[in-house]
Amino acid sequence: MSYSGKSVKRLYDDKFVTGRSTYVDDIKTNALYAGFVRSNMAHGKIKAINVDDAMKMNGVVAVFTGNELNQIIKGGIGPWTTYIDPRPWKIPLWRFAQGETKYNGEPVAMVIASDKYTAEDAVKAINVEIEPLDAVIGMDEAKQDKVLVHKELGTNFGFVGDFNAGDADKALSSADRKVEVEIANNRLIPSPMEPRGIISQYDGVNLTIWYSTQIPHFARSEFSRIFGLPESRIRVVMPDVGGGFGSKAHIIPEELAVIAASMRLGKAVRWTATRTEEMMATNSRHNVFKGEIGFKNDGTLVAIKGTLDVELGAYLTYTEGLQPTIIPPMIPGPYRVRDLAIKSRAIYTNTIPITMYRGASRPEATFIIERIISTVADELGMDDVEVRLRNLVREDQMPYTNPFGLKYDTGDYPTLLKEGVRVMEYQKMKEWAAEERKKGKKVGVGLAYYLEICGFGPYEFSETRVTDDGSVIVSIGGTPHGQGTETAIAQLVADELQIPIERIKITWGDSEAVPAGTGTYGSRTLAIAGSAAISSSRQVLEKMKRVAARSMKADVEEIDYKNGEFVHKKDGRKMTWNEVAKEAYSGREPGLSASVMLEGDVTFPYGVHMAVVEVDDYGIARVKEYRAYDDIGRVINPALAEGQVHGGGTQAVGQALYELAIINENGQLAVTYADYYVPTAVEAPKFKSYFAEKYHPSAYLTKSKGVGEASLIVGPAAIVRALEDATGKRFNKTPVTPEDILK
Amino acid sequence: MLAEPGQRVKIKVKVNGVEYEEEVEPRKLLVDFLRENLNLTGTKIGCDTTTCGACTVLVNGKSVKSCTMLAVQANNKEVVTIEGLSTDSRLSVVQQAFKDNFALQCGFCTAGMIVQAHYILKEKKPLSEEEVRDLIHGNICRCTGYQNIVNAIMDASRRMGA
Repeated sequence: MSYSGKSVKRLYDDKFVTGRSTYVDDIKTNALYAGFVRSNMAHGKIKAINVDDAMKMNGVVAVFTGNELNQIIKGGIGPWTTYIDPRPWKIPLWRFAQGETKYNGEPVAMVIASDKYTAEDAVKAINVEIEPLDAVIGMDEAKQDKVLVHKELGTNFGFVGDFNAGDADKALSSADRKVEVEIANNRLIPSPMEPRGIISQYDGVNLTIWYSTQIPHFARSEFSRIFGLPESRIRVVMPDVGGGFGSKAHIIPEELAVIAASMRLGKAVRWTATRTEEMMATNSRHNVFKGEIGFKNDGTLVAIKGTLDVELGAYLTYTEGLQPTIIPPMIPGPYRVRDLAIKSRAIYTNTIPITMYRGASRPEATFIIERIISTVADELGMDDVEVRLRNLVREDQMPYTNPFGLKYDTGDYPTLLKEGVRVMEYQKMKEWAAEERKKGKKVGVGLAYYLEICGFGPYEFSETRVTDDGSVIVSIGGTPHGQGTETAIAQLVADELQIPIERIKITWGDSEAVPAGTGTYGSRTLAIAGSAAISSSRQVLEKMKRVAARSMKADVEEIDYKNGEFVHKKDGRKMTWNEVAKEAYSGREPGLSASVMLEGDVTFPYGVHMAVVEVDDYGIARVKEYRAYDDIGRVINPALAEGQVHGGGTQAVGQALYELAIINENGQLAVTYADYYVPTAVEAPKFKSYFAEKYHPSAYLTKSKGVGEASLIVGPAAIVRALEDATGKRFNKTPVTPEDILK
Repeated sequence: MLAEPGQRVKIKVKVNGVEYEEEVEPRKLLVDFLRENLNLTGTKIGCDTTTCGACTVLVNGKSVKSCTMLAVQANNKEVVTIEGLSTDSRLSVVQQAFKDNFALQCGFCTAGMIVQAHYILKEKKPLSEEEVRDLIHGNICRCTGYQNIVNAIMDASRRMGA
């Protein structure tokens, strides 16, 4: 009996297919509803907030502004210090707008009402007078520092850092060829289908928060810091979460206001974002790399020099500080280039604050390096595969420390490329596309290579508990929200304990039920939470052997365990799994559980993806097929891994071709869900997903590496390359719009 | 007749085979009526522009986005929600096919998607993959890439003898 490696069906699907799932908005409580009045100006002085009409309305309980809320929101939103060193940063205090508003859409007042319709009525009845102040909307203007988003910082640069390796100037001067490049990832909206939601309940002592989040334990510590309450009095519960994609690993002022209001009123308060609010709460990406590259006539890339500008929006969110510090060291990717000089700058503007989105930093780094490598190929008239083979880190160099000190764990990059090209039938598809183009069709095939970074620490928690009836509850600090990782972890535990998977329940996401946790993001959960679960299960099994030995009056060394039976090696006496479990609960120290805190280290999955595109006479592009060949270490559940490839690939289609969070000259988000084109089934391609024939394991017990972000990391580069093949033009930004194609 | 603020109107609706008589504000959306008045929270709200399809239900057999219809417009009509597609012990063919084909991840779009799938499979006509994609293009899924959803619907269609 073995579950790992098989496409075991997801354990908890029944509730989703029957409508019995429970997302935050589905929870029934006796709670008041919050509504938010928002700024219609990018930068302005709040002169007056007229609440009288709203307060007269039936069902309106309170209206709060920053003046009251910020007495409770003491700490404000800060950067994610687990990964972000705040010292080189200039960080404004970010609480609820008070006195000034810094972006269009910023909440400036909060209504508390008996139901959501009344809350909406009251929001409309509030008149806010805002005197306009000079604003900076674009990064180029902000960089001049003439108009400041935060006067007290004295600059719009939140961070400036130099990432230097080798000697880029020298390498450039000795290169056979030099080319200037400009590569941009434009502003996106992650768009999980469930908008953000929160319910906060305060009984005067304890604060309970039901929260659509990816990081319940970190949220608890942040709330503790911000509201000045001990962590022991805060419970964060993550119910079913309808997608996150990184957007639910940060905290927004609306949520702090909901908590503050519940503390102030001593009553439960709830808020579920509308889609429009969700779109304003979470923007992502938007960064531009400008520089110069140097290469040899044989295709060897020898130097990259340039400046990376990363937009922050009006405030530093919990997560956005990652981008300017992770993109530069990931720019070399899987290639051997060692001479780089990258100036990384993070810039405040009077726009919606920017947060992370699936892949966060690696999609940007990959788009930059893959555009660079393709540029080398085009300049020299070389084949895309050949130029990559020329530059990829070789197997004999592994583990390879990249010029910025990142240690790539395991892999054989060139062999994977050759295998991938064969398995995905790249050459055949290229020839087919060339034939089609001769007939007048605009079709193209493109590939791109990627190196991901997953398995982030610092640690993950797991507890395995065997109950007195012999069933098993595994609590994990990872917090899956749709990936199905819990099923894969149950597979691992079932194999470890050699019991049927049906006897195992995986639980997560309640900061009181799970003592510690890091959360789910960065494709870390299966590698690290899965390994923690294996480890805690091993320890429980050892304890059970001791219980069996004690019960049989034997030494523990005399006990063998196999398939649910504890057997005395010499005399053959047996105890079943259930008997041992029951026995363990009858003693003076009842219970059978073991917990571990597993330290994490990053893993480096990699792969090659290919896209087939078709462009019509109106310049509208469609990705017809998407193929992926990945080495993600050991694959625990192929169907779940494929699901991640499909989902990320569809988001890549959106990023490459359709999705653009347009910010107009007033700093206003100028799209709704009707014209922010998240791909539908019609725009989504057909997928073929393959995993490496011979995988390279990670150092984790699971031997897995992570796959959740792979196709959004590499997909945009592959799709844009296919568009170039189809049209004969060069595109160095996402999304590539019909206007760009027809230009 | 124009509704006065705070006015309530009595409606009679049959939902999942059960008759309900409720008083609602004329402006109340059908989706809020189902979720709040009847506690049928399987129907989800994903957007405010009738774009995403998470709130899809059947009204007199036709698929409708319940965020784009008022509760009063459902007066004297029959509504079927995700909760009405299965009995406690048995999933519908479509529900089972979704489960078997890994056609969901976060599950938030799933109810609307399954209701829409029931609607398009009602006539038990064979459908091509392209037709299925076209018929569900009003339902957004952000997780699965749709391929497994399309596979599930094709699979259900075969199981239903189309």
